[in-house]
Amino acid sequence: MGHSHCTTVQGWKDRGAIPVKQHVHVLEAAQRLGIPLTREDLLDEVAPRPPEEMWRAQCYMLLARLLAAPPDDALLAMIRELGDDDTEFGQALHGLVAVARQANSRTVREEYHDLFIGVGRGELLPYASYYLTGFLHEKPLAVLRGDMQKLGIAAKEGVAEPEDHIGALCEMMAGLITGAFGEPASLDVQRSFFETHIGSWAPRFFQDLEAAQRATFYMPVGRLGRIFMSIEMEAFALAA
Amino acid sequence: MSEDKAPKSPTRREFFRKAGLGAGALAGAVAMGDAVASNEAKAAEAAPKSQGYRETDHVKRVYELARF
Repeated sequence: MGHSHCTTVQGWKDRGAIPVKQHVHVLEAAQRLGIPLTREDLLDEVAPRPPEEMWRAQCYMLLARLLAAPPDDALLAMIRELGDDDTEFGQALHGLVAVARQANSRTVREEYHDLFIGVGRGELLPYASYYLTGFLHEKPLAVLRGDMQKLGIAAKEGVAEPEDHIGALCEMMAGLITGAFGEPASLDVQRSFFETHIGSWAPRFFQDLEAAQRATFYMPVGRLGRIFMSIEMEAFALAA
Repeated sequence: MSEDKAPKSPTRREFFRKAGLGAGALAGAVAMGDAVASNEAKAAEAAPKSQGYRETDHVKRVYELARF
């Protein structure tokens, strides 16, 4: 590493962490020098996020996993072990645990299909474009793609579905919080992303999910999502 | 994008704790790594795909221009 990086490396030592976006440089330098080093070795060096931010990221990831695809047996088993408390959020979680205990991956997969896929379309269309304009592949998707580019988020190749799906958006929020796309996004960036791409429609979607005819397992998912959206909006308002 | 410089929020932590997020309900429940790995395995199914986000080539070029 050249002279210009002495300060940077010292900075990393001082903070006890290597910023995620520097990992590719560190890995390439190690490779040139013949030092065995993998990405996993570096992940321990990422500065940890405060617990409240990890809680949020975990909520987004739980919703992302349940909405992008029906849960497999492993995820159902994990959900069955979740704790709860007497907050509104905790009670919604309790409801999810209860249905998870009654369900199996096959029944949930069928329900997921009826709700979101169907023949031609499912009962619900969980896309920002649809909720905001009445049609798929509309301006909200274009705006999202522009923001994804700015934030360094790339969609997985070979994927047919538009990125403004609620599952994808939840995963993006989790990544912005944890720094999966380079560095953790500031609250201002998170708020802007949330308000533009999620807050404007997702609360209504979760309400619809909670009320959907074919929702049994997904009813408490809707409730949990609705309550979490309210919590997020209130928290962003507090931090403004 | 640097770490958020807002007043280190005991308020924010307390808010989320009171809202029920910190009650251990989700503690350790959804490992990010597991989530991504599991979702990638599902990539072939009919469900909409949201997994496997990575740095765009544009971002990589910016980093390369800034290297030593």
